[in-house]
Amino acid sequence: MSQFSTVQVPRAETIAIQVTAPNQVKLSGTITQKDPASDLAGFFKALHTAALADKLAEVRADVSGLTFVNSSAIRLFVDWATWVKNERGQRYTLRFVTSRNVTWQKTSFMALLSLAKEVLAIEHVT
Amino acid sequence: MSSYDRNPSTPSSSSRLAVAGVAGSAQRPGDGAVLSGRTLLRVICTSGSGVLEYTHAFINAYTADHLRGAVAQRLSVGAYELLSNALNFGSISSDIVIELIESDSMVGVRVSNDAIAARISMLTEHLLKLKTNAEQTFLEELRRSVTGGIPRPMLGLARVTHEVGLTLDLQVNERRISVTAQCRR
Repeated sequence: MSQFSTVQVPRAETIAIQVTAPNQVKLSGTITQKDPASDLAGFFKALHTAALADKLAEVRADVSGLTFVNSSAIRLFVDWATWVKNERGQRYTLRFVTSRNVTWQKTSFMALLSLAKEVLAIEHVT
Repeated sequence: MSSYDRNPSTPSSSSRLAVAGVAGSAQRPGDGAVLSGRTLLRVICTSGSGVLEYTHAFINAYTADHLRGAVAQRLSVGAYELLSNALNFGSISSDIVIELIESDSMVGVRVSNDAIAARISMLTEHLLKLKTNAEQTFLEELRRSVTGGIPRPMLGLARVTHEVGLTLDLQVNERRISVTAQCRR
């Protein structure tokens, strides 16, 4: 049974989160709370742990519907990429699905790619 | 909240630093000038739970309704990060003022607050780094987000200049500082 798809989704006021087997998580809305880590850091870590347990080759994180995030939220994506990068054993590719129409996503994810290119992939949708 | 035909809060510039954004369109004459014009909205904030979120939500809705989509998105990031900085690092004994200002060719968001000298010095230094190389500073702050560091990572202003390509302008008048993030309309 997929551990990934059974990860508990946190309740957050401004974000809609959907986890789909075998390897996709979709986030939409906005992340504006001062400390989004309290809602999301544990969730991302659980997805990471489950992806390793499921021996996934790739996790698709679709953020194309995230129209605004604050810099604290960007740090959460950096953290996730770093966890994958630091895995010594089997690891997966973390693929961020981004939108060309959302200004903040264009630069942030390209910068993130430059920090962890060996484990990240960026896919653009309109 | 109230509107004014003129911006009443622009301080006399005892010192000023302008940092140009690099993303988006190239700089044109006038892009780095102090933004003065019509104040579309002015919100006076005091520290408190949720003030950042609901003030940003209001400004976001306002800009989305009044400005082109791409410009509204850029100013949304600017408004959030400038207000967040003011709430995190400004003096809690005085009001924080956030304004949306437009001139014939430019539009911007300005946040004014009181700050201690050490904070003003740190902010000035950070803006100089951004002025020198916004992209490099953005990457450095992203890296510091991973490793932590003292002082704490300052990703917000790097986003404003590099990620959404707004021009930053700092004006200091004794303890009162005003940071403006602007772009072409």
